[in-house]
Amino acid sequence: HAALSRRYVLCEVLSEDPRCRQCIEDRALGLAVRDAITRVHGDYGLACCSISFTVKYLNAYTGTVLLRCRKDSYRLLCSALPFVRCLESRGQRYPCCLNTLHVGGTIRTCQKFLIHYNRTQLLRLLQNCTNEEERQCIQKSLLSCSLREEQSHSGDEEEDDGTE
Amino acid sequence: ELPDGGVRPNAAQFKQLVVTALRELHGEVGAALPVDVLTYEEKTLSAILRVISSGLVKLWSALTLLGFYQNRRCAFRVLQTSPFLLALSGNSRELVLD
Repeated sequence: HAALSRRYVLCEVLSEDPRCRQCIEDRALGLAVRDAITRVHGDYGLACCSISFTVKYLNAYTGTVLLRCRKDSYRLLCSALPFVRCLESRGQRYPCCLNTLHVGGTIRTCQKFLIHYNRTQLLRLLQNCTNEEERQCIQKSLLSCSLREEQSHSGDEEEDDGTE
Repeated sequence: ELPDGGVRPNAAQFKQLVVTALRELHGEVGAALPVDVLTYEEKTLSAILRVISSGLVKLWSALTLLGFYQNRRCAFRVLQTSPFLLALSGNSRELVLD
């Protein structure tokens, strides 16, 4: 019954340069992805993927990005994502790479995955913690994350140092 | 077809033109499609190309949409396609029945 099927691609932006975070905005990211699609799949690929393409959600602190595209062209999009090499905004260009985390049919499935993924990432960070203060902070975040809408989003509270 | 009377491409330049057409329409993936130029006649500017059957649509669409060779107007006309090379020796479109 879903005549207008879309796919939502969840990815994270990884960069060695901490200043890259300020480039994580929808216009810069959209341009970078479309440029990569043009390089890899040409005019046809760009036209195919652009039909229903938007950056649905961005989180500059965690580097999480949610992209939307048509179901028929999500393979073109996903195969072009590893070719995004840098983000450019306000005349500054920083190298980065996009890591695909999950492809889902609805925003809700991606949200559920993201919450679960962030929880496991917080646990990992907890294990790598060096001092007690960070430990307390992360433990507090872990205990407070949940799926209910009136609570704070679980993705925003992790201690993120930008390197994995 | 090159309607102006300028310099004609040689075989290597012809292959380059085909790959460029693929790259413009289908990107690096298209340019990586293995296309062979089996024969090429500079005088008539006609050639026989070989491509894997799953790549025929990409190749044909790329050739159709190519409009320029070195800033000169040009056009590709596909006369015949066949899975067998022998079939290309006679063009059934030009067959005259008595």
